[in-house]
Amino acid sequence: MNISAIRDIKDWPWLVLLPVIGFVLIGIFAPAIMPYDPSAQDYSATLEGMSWNHWLGTDYLGRDVFSRIVGGARISLVAMVIVLVAALAIGVTIGSFAGYVGGRVELVLISIIDIALALPSLVIALALIGILGTGYWSMITALTLAWWANYARMSRAVVTAELQQPYIEAARVMGAGHLWIFVRHILPHVLALVVVYASADAGALVLAIATLSFLGLGVAPPTPEWGQMLVDGMSYIEEVPRLVVLPGLALTLVVVSFNLLGEAFALQKVPRPVRGATLRRRRKARAREEAERNAVETGTTSA
Amino acid sequence: MKRTILRRMLLACLLILAASALTFALVAAAPGNVAALIAERAAGPGADAHMIAKIGNELGLYDPLPIRYGRWLSGALAGDFGISLRTGKPISSEFAARIPMTAALLAGGGILAFIFSIALGIAGAVSNGGVMDRFLHAFSLIGASTPNFFVAALLVIVFSVMLGWVPTFGTSGFTSWLLPWVTIALFPASVLSRVVRVNLQEAMSRPFATTGFAKGFTRTQVLLREALPNIAIPFLTTFGAQFTLMIIGSIVVETVFALRGVGAFFIEAIRFRDFIGMQSVLLLFVVFFVMVNFIVDMICIVADPRMRRARGA
Repeated sequence: MNISAIRDIKDWPWLVLLPVIGFVLIGIFAPAIMPYDPSAQDYSATLEGMSWNHWLGTDYLGRDVFSRIVGGARISLVAMVIVLVAALAIGVTIGSFAGYVGGRVELVLISIIDIALALPSLVIALALIGILGTGYWSMITALTLAWWANYARMSRAVVTAELQQPYIEAARVMGAGHLWIFVRHILPHVLALVVVYASADAGALVLAIATLSFLGLGVAPPTPEWGQMLVDGMSYIEEVPRLVVLPGLALTLVVVSFNLLGEAFALQKVPRPVRGATLRRRRKARAREEAERNAVETGTTSA
Repeated sequence: MKRTILRRMLLACLLILAASALTFALVAAAPGNVAALIAERAAGPGADAHMIAKIGNELGLYDPLPIRYGRWLSGALAGDFGISLRTGKPISSEFAARIPMTAALLAGGGILAFIFSIALGIAGAVSNGGVMDRFLHAFSLIGASTPNFFVAALLVIVFSVMLGWVPTFGTSGFTSWLLPWVTIALFPASVLSRVVRVNLQEAMSRPFATTGFAKGFTRTQVLLREALPNIAIPFLTTFGAQFTLMIIGSIVVETVFALRGVGAFFIEAIRFRDFIGMQSVLLLFVVFFVMVNFIVDMICIVADPRMRRARGA
């Protein structure tokens, strides 16, 4: 496992990191950026167009759309970070435990992980919301429980691979305890892989939060949330399509940013789980190198 | 080969069994008693313990879990999913009306995704770094990043509100299906076109492609004659995965376009905490996922002799 790729800061895809950093900054400083209270209604100024007072106009309750979009960034960011941290904590703990302990315990945990991965995460989240009821915290809980399994599978794979390494044996011979070996020697490898994967996965999570809110099962009004703003605006789609387009654009931009980041990570050859899309990207990179070599050797014009 | 297929079939059945048991356990563990919910709906908030116990006894809710699970699964296999807590009608009759709707949505979306991904992927490979290739890259990135409810909204704004070509909601004739189909197909089409493009590129660097060049074929000819058949396996596998993911798309699309399908039923069941309805839909989904994966596996085994040997052992 090559973690130097992550430590080597000059190799980081700084340019594709910028939109993501922008999103995070807007989320953090949202209260300072918002010119109005995003939930404040003003019936004397409903459905106004763009103006100096209201940069992106107002919605049907006279709420400032710009403030709501900026506020929505904060809601998405906070919810996404909570779910990601919780899912990482659960996934890394269970996956590492399974990989380290091995034997029957591992078999049982792996079966649970595999069944959890057999259904799409969002379907699991929906089912859990049905059981827990709707609301912000049940959405957070449901998404966490739907998201951990992937990280658990990854963590287990890394732990199993690292345990084969001679330095683990060396540490054991030197009298290191299980906890020391795990925390000092294995955990950094696990985190290096899982955190990189999670940072690219964050876009999918932002999308899931918006989708659940769009379906009326996530963030409830009047809290500004993009998916919920969009479904709110659907009633005015013929007169004021802006109310639908703007939150949708904001959401799409954020997801595109994270997906670009994920693509950049894949091209950087940062260690990532070898499944589906990554495998294809790696194959693509390999194919491109090979094709270049072929082109030089055979003189054909490919790639 | 027969043995491989039989083994896969057994595995599929086991998977359905395991996943349905998990679904059942999940709903059985739900806080709040189903009997209490029914009693509350029948008699208002004043339902007393006696009534709850009576309803619970009638439904056999006090039997041990494995027995309840067996009863539920055997009933479902016979087409009896129980009574919906929300509508008070048998869920099977809901399904009879809704499954064709969702099936039509998935089939149309699947066909669109299939055609467009192959066409775009080939166009990208033929252009090979040119304008079409760049367009494909941008399309696949944006298509895979745009939430499907936003796609639906944009399509409605452009084609219904501005141009007035198709009706906004509901089902009235062929044209009303176009927007839902395009919406549901966009995400899988973007992912799959990338898969086609990348795998074509990879196939072009393999020895058989070089042989094709040596025979004097042009790049496009080699692409279509030699490379294209060779991407069947990765394409079909990803197509299967994307097709199952289209269930999520169908949930959103049915809600946006007010189609009365299974996905919309699922969302209503979740909103009204109709546990029995939720359970039935989840079982349906599980069966669908396992079936799609099984069929894809079968096609792969039939299409690629190497798979037969690799898995037949």
